[in-house]
Order: sequence, then structure tokens, then C-alpha cells
Amino acid sequence: MTNHGVNRESFGARIWRRTLQGVGVKLGLAWVGLLVFVAVFAPFLANSMPLLMSKDGVISAPVLHYLNIEDVWVLSSFFLALAVFRLRISTVRRILLFLLGSAVVAVCANLWVKPPVLVIYDDFRIPAYTEVNWRIMPPVPYAPTDYLRDLGSKGLEAPFQSEGHLHLMGTEENGADVLSRMIHAARIALSIGLIASGIALTIGVVVGGLMGYFSGIVDMLGMRLVEIFEDIPTLFLLLTFVAFFGRSLYMMMVIIGVTSWSGYARFVRTEFLKLRKQDYVQAAVASGLPLSSILFRHMLPNGVAPLLVSVSFGIAGAILAEATLSFLGLGVVDAPSWGQMLDQAVKSSTFNWWMAVFPGGAIFMTVFAYNLIGESFRDAIDPKLSGQSEAKP
Amino acid sequence: MIQPLLDVRHLHTYLQSAGQQIKAVDDISFSIPKGETFCLVGESGSGKSVSALSVMRLLPPGIASHPGGEILFNGQDLLQLDDAGIRAVRGAKIAMIFQEPMNSLNPVLNIGEQISEAIQLHYPDLTGEETEERTILALEQVQIPHASRRFRDFPHQLSGGQRQRVMIAMALACAPRLLIADEPTTALDVTVQAEILRLMRQLQDDTGMSMLFITHDFGVVAQMAQWVGVMQSGKLVEVGPCSQVLRQARHPYTRQLLAALPENLERPTGVRLQSRQPANQSLGTSTHLLSIRDLKVWFPIKKGLLRHTVDFVRAVDEVSLDIPQGQILALVGESGCGKTTLGRAVLQLEKPTSGSIRLQGHELTGLSSRDLRPFRRKMQIAFQDPQSSLNPRLLIETTLTEPMKVHGIGADQEERLELAAQLLELVQLNRDFLWRYPHEFSGGQRQRIGLARALALNPEFIVCDEITSALDVSVQAEILQLLLRIREQRQLTLLFITHNIGVVEYLSDKTVVMYQGKVVEQGDTAQICGNPRHPYTQKLLAAVPRLLRSH
Repeated sequence: MTNHGVNRESFGARIWRRTLQGVGVKLGLAWVGLLVFVAVFAPFLANSMPLLMSKDGVISAPVLHYLNIEDVWVLSSFFLALAVFRLRISTVRRILLFLLGSAVVAVCANLWVKPPVLVIYDDFRIPAYTEVNWRIMPPVPYAPTDYLRDLGSKGLEAPFQSEGHLHLMGTEENGADVLSRMIHAARIALSIGLIASGIALTIGVVVGGLMGYFSGIVDMLGMRLVEIFEDIPTLFLLLTFVAFFGRSLYMMMVIIGVTSWSGYARFVRTEFLKLRKQDYVQAAVASGLPLSSILFRHMLPNGVAPLLVSVSFGIAGAILAEATLSFLGLGVVDAPSWGQMLDQAVKSSTFNWWMAVFPGGAIFMTVFAYNLIGESFRDAIDPKLSGQSEAKP
Repeated sequence: MIQPLLDVRHLHTYLQSAGQQIKAVDDISFSIPKGETFCLVGESGSGKSVSALSVMRLLPPGIASHPGGEILFNGQDLLQLDDAGIRAVRGAKIAMIFQEPMNSLNPVLNIGEQISEAIQLHYPDLTGEETEERTILALEQVQIPHASRRFRDFPHQLSGGQRQRVMIAMALACAPRLLIADEPTTALDVTVQAEILRLMRQLQDDTGMSMLFITHDFGVVAQMAQWVGVMQSGKLVEVGPCSQVLRQARHPYTRQLLAALPENLERPTGVRLQSRQPANQSLGTSTHLLSIRDLKVWFPIKKGLLRHTVDFVRAVDEVSLDIPQGQILALVGESGCGKTTLGRAVLQLEKPTSGSIRLQGHELTGLSSRDLRPFRRKMQIAFQDPQSSLNPRLLIETTLTEPMKVHGIGADQEERLELAAQLLELVQLNRDFLWRYPHEFSGGQRQRIGLARALALNPEFIVCDEITSALDVSVQAEILQLLLRIREQRQLTLLFITHNIGVVEYLSDKTVVMYQGKVVEQGDTAQICGNPRHPYTQKLLAAVPRLLRSH
């Protein structure tokens, strides 16, 4: 025991390396990575507008012209994230900086981005975009709302079956390309998971942390609150809210977040109760360090790992909740979502396998991927399991 | 010469771990005559336990292999036996007891059932009543009072010593020829340890069994062994009769281990004389750095729906003591006597129920955390467990400089880093260690860093809570000598909490003995250790296993 061998990596780096040891987690991360890429660059991957075109010697990019507020916000947040995580500052500061930056971008986008209103059919095919010298189209040259009825499409065509057009995953009843809709729906799947879990995490850490550190009466009141929220059935609350206030993606995120924090609060509370008695926390108290440093520097980072495990499962749960709602026909109307596509598949009079298999498979893969990541992460932070994989005489 | 009961010849045990082969036991040979005790001594990781487990064939077959050697038990090679064969030997002919009595007993079965099961397994012909009789007999043999009534008790209803007695009863239920005891008393208090050791010697006399006794404590060796083997990294470096090994050790490693025992440790030259002189003078003018008066720390026991307080655990009960400037006060007592709680209460980490704590005349109890902050700088604490005493997420640099920053020591980060590096050098570590994480260090190094952190605020008073208990004896010796040297350089006053009498004698100027939350005796260390007055102190000192009984 006296000689561990020199191991220079930090605690976080060690956890990360152990998490990445399995094959499953790599597949899971690859899938989530693909989703992020697809979600961020959806307008450039699947769109009826040319990426780049030349007309009478003038080169223009109509896609950029038609980017809506959401597109701009997602794109700039993505690049902001890349930039922020290259900075050499602490993780907490990175996250704060990112949140601040993306809020500013959201406000700016709302103020200045005014894309022309799209009239379905017409705008995509006006001569301004079709009669050109040359044009580069996106890999999937159909927008999710580009219904091809006007071009004589019968709709509900199986993959590779339609004449004159290539639809890799077939078309739905209006003739819109299924693949294009899948790509744009990735956004909802990702954002609902991340934002709902983010809301839940924030509430959970604050409430759980207060309960754990102060214990006593705060703990008792907090636990009753946790128990109350544990008893709320999320799905039925969502149904009620949809019935009263109409459909909104943001409302769904908030409700899923607000009803699912109790598990996180329990986690944080237990960790803090345990950590409070640790010698290094006692030493920090004995050194007269301020409460904020004790809580956020000495306690939270040591208790956050089991929390992140349950977050990855929570993300999967949120995605499923949204898919369930959309499948019941209570999801978002104007934007495609995987659950809503499944609903379409069931509602049509004939069974069209491509309408069910692709979105269903995507939901399955995404939930599965997050579960794989969570599983592997849990194994990595479990000291009993890590003892087996590390050399220990 | 008569045939020995157990004859281990050139035993090799290799362990497979993450693609590496570790030579846990590397060519050891020893033998145990009938009715005698062989002690395996060594520091942690030297291969003592693996040797014992090899004899029992208890190592997982996929991981452990025996590339060479033989283990002859009554002339039969245990390594050649098949599974059924070794099962007939285990329990019936060779039995084993372990260190942690709580983990070795099944918490959901009562102790009678657990012993009966072992008996039934080896004597299937016995009727239920006969088994029960034998079980009660086994419990009486290990001197459990009212054995027939305690038959149905569960492990949690027994004290640590009683659990270890039950373990011994279980091991002896089938009258084995050889008992393997793997650190059986390490987790026990010293007075309980003395009782268990006495019991084991007596049982050996009664039954004529042999013992393979594993320990790290040379005092225990001196009490138990006829034969001693000293292990170092898988090799048996010295084997011989007990008195010869302990008095005239031949191998340098054995000598080094013996010299590291607190009773054999040399004080740094001049320290004792120099420190005693001014300390006695200051005693005359009665300048106490710290005075504790009638301190109580009571923990409420709450019961019922309304959680009203029904009683208190009196962890510290009306304790009064003074710590003179510049002296080391040892606080001695068995586990649960309240010594750690007292140490934490002094630092206001535990809120005292009543009483007064004065540091240089300033009352500390009842201060808000803001008012307490200037005093925090003057008193610090170092902990027992090297695993949990440092924040695993922070660089050593952060651990050392953060308190300095809060208390305004050092003009800028540059200067604080320099101070932190000097601290590491003070505790004899490399200054580059600033840029490492705690998991990169061994237990002894972590304890040094823990000391460096306690010194970071340049305090006048440090509470050392069992800081050497989790360490091997040679590392303990280094830490103790270091502590004395730093005390000298920085004029520190120490409250040294420990259960190790040897350390007390080596280190301290004054001693306070605690028993069940109360101070039973206090005074100069030499007086208390040489001429104890209170019956508990006498019992405690008599129970300490000494290397040489004539000492």
C-alpha cells in the first residue's frame, strides 16, 4: 500500500477515463454526439433551400437568409460552448459563462433575427431559388414542412419508392420527407432532455444541499416537500396542463423539470450528510473557511458524481415523457417530433412500416444511449468496482 | 525430532491483478510444532494474510496460483487436495478467525445457530439437542457469561470482545488441530485484547492445538509466540524462537522494525531536556494556553413521534483540564471514551453542551463563526484516517493555500505558494508535491500533508487525533520524530489523542486518562505511566502488551 505508483491525473480525469473503458459507453456517446451534430446543423442538413447558389454572377446562401430565431440561437450556443470549454478556467465558471452567453444570444436573436415568413410550397420553389446558374443543395434536399403534394406526390411512399425524388426513409401522408423530419426532431429530443433535467438538477441540488448541510428542521421540512413532489404523477399533470393551457414545448420542459427534482434532492442530501462528517470538511471548518467555499469547493464536487449518474437516466426519462405526450397527440404542433411521427404512423389507415420504425428506433437508441452512459458512469465512480479494474496488490 | 503439525516448504503464492503478476508470497518456509504458536509479523502488504489464506486454500483460484512449494499438514500436502479433500480439512482440522468480528459473523443469524451449523457440518450424526449442548459448551469454553441464555443473541447485541469470543468458539467447535488467527485483536481495545489473548493461551493449553498467529504488533508477539517469522514484501526474512528474534534480531529489517517501536525510539537529541525546562517554569507561573472547565458534550437520544429527548449520550462529561504553553498533552482512553469528541469540542467543531473553553484567556464557547475566525488561525487539527483527511478533488497547493488566503497570510498567491512549498519541506516532502492530488500519495505521506495543512496558518495549538493509528510502525516512528522536531522549531502546544501507551510515553509531557466521558487521572506522563493511582489507569497499563516483560 505504500507505493501506489505515480498517478498524475486528477479525480475528474480518472472518472472520465474509467467511464470510457467500456464499448457500450463509446457507442452511447457516439450516438449522442451524432444527435448533437444533427440537431445543431439541422437547417444545413435537411432543407429545401440551396446552401449556396450563383445567379447572374451573384453568389448567395439562401439557407442563412431563412434561418429562424431558434436556429440562430442553437448554432451560436454551440459555438459558444466550444469556445468556452477551451478556456482554462474552472468547470463551474465555464458553465456559468456559457449560460450567460447563451442567454445574451437568445435575447439578441429575438431582437434582430427576422426571417421571411415561409408559405408552404411556394417559397421553396419560386424561380428565385430554382432558376439559377448553379446551386449546392443540402444532403437531404427537403425541409421538414416541404409537403410535396404540389408536385404530385401521393404521400406515404416507402423508402426509394417515389418517382423522381429520393426519399431515404420514405414520405409521410403529406409527402414530406421522413428523414428530414427526423433530423429536425432531434432538436426537441435533445433539448427536452437537457433542459428538463437541468431545471430538475438545479432545484434538486439547492434543496438537497440545504437539507444535507443544515439538517435538523430544514431537513425535516425539505423531506416533506420532496415526498409531496414524489407523489405527483408527471404524465397526468402534463395532460392537465395541455388541456388547460394548450401545447407548448417550453411548458413541457418546465413541468417535467419541476416534477422530477425530488430524486436529485435525495441524492445530494445523503451525500452532504455523509460529507459533512468527512475529515477534510471538518478541517475546512477548523481553518475558518467561508461557508460558500465549504459547500461549493469542498462538498459539492465530491458529492456530484452519483448525481450525474441519475441525471443521465433522467434525460432518458424526459425524452420518453415527451415522446409519450406527442404519441398521444398532445405534443407540439408546428414542429416535428419523434413521438408525433409515431402517432402519425398509428393514425394512418394502412400500416406503413417506415413511419414507425425510424422514429421508434431513434427514441429507443437515444434512451438506450443515455442509459449506457449512466450505467458506465455509475460503475466508474463506484470504488468497489474500480478496485477490480485497477491494479491493487 | 517429532514431525511438526504444519510444515510449509518453499511456498509461492502469486496473485493476478489487472494483467500483472504480484509475488504476494515468495518462497517462504516455516513449521509449527504441535501445541505451539508461530507468529507471522510484518507491516501491511508484506504477505502475512495471503500466507494464512494459502494454508486454508481460501484464495480465489482464478486469481491466485501456487507455482511452487508444499504445505504439509500432518504429512499431507494441502496444495494437492481436491475440493472435497480441502473442505474436510477446513473447519474440522484447521480453523480460522479474522480481524473484524462484526464482518465475520452473519448479522441475521443468532450466534447459537452459527456455531451449531459448524458443528452439524462436521458431526452430522448428532441430534439437535446434542448439538445445542455442544454449542453451549463451546460458548462456555470462551467464557461468555450465561452461555445458555446468550445462545439466541444476535451479533449486534454483543460487544466487540464478545463477538471475537464467539468467533473463537465457532472456530474451536470442531476441535481443530490448528487455529489460524489473522490479526484477531487489532480492532479491539487494549484491555479487551489482553483478555482475548489470555483466553487464547488458555484454550491452547487445554486443547493442545497449534496456532498460526498473524499480527503487526511486537508486544502481542512477545505474549503469544514460541516461534516468530518476520515477513517483508512476500519473503520471510527471519525465523526463529521468539526470545531470540526479539532480543538478538539478526536481519536488519527485523532490527529496523524493533527500533521503530515507540518504546525503543530515540528522542531527537536534547529535545526532552530543552522542552521540559521552560515548560516547568511556565507551569510555575501557570500560563496555560488552553483551559477547559466543566466541559460537557452531550448528544440527545430522541425517541417517539414527537422526537422528544429521552436521554443523553454523555460523550464528554464535566471535563476540566489545562494545557500549558509549549507542552504535549496526551489524551488516552479506549474507543468510545469521548477523547475525539473532546478534541473536536476544543476546536468548536462540536458544540459543547455547557462548560468553558478558554484559549489564552479568551472564551471560545458561544462565539459565532465570524467571531471565532481569528481564533481558528491559532488552533488546528490533524486527523487519523489518511484516506479521508484530504479533499480528493483539490491539488495539495489549493488545500494548503486556501486557508492562508482566507486569513490574509502572504501578500499574493506567489508568496503563499512559496510558504506552502516551505511547509512541504518542513514535513520532509518534495516541494513539487504541491501540484499533485491526494490519491498519488501513500498513507504516511498523506499524514505529513495533513500536518502541513494544520501548520499552514502557523497555529500555536494543534489537536492531533490518533494521527499515527492507521500507520505501520516504521512510518509512525518517522511521523512522531517529525512532530517532535516541528514542535521544537515552532513552539507548538499539542493535544495528542491516542490509545497507544507506547506513543504516550515517547511523546508527551503530560497525560490525561479518560474513561466513559470523564477524566479519571491526569498528571505528568512519567508519573502516570510509572505509578498510576486510579484503578482504570492501572488496568489499562497492565493490559498493554510489552515487548519485554521485564521492561
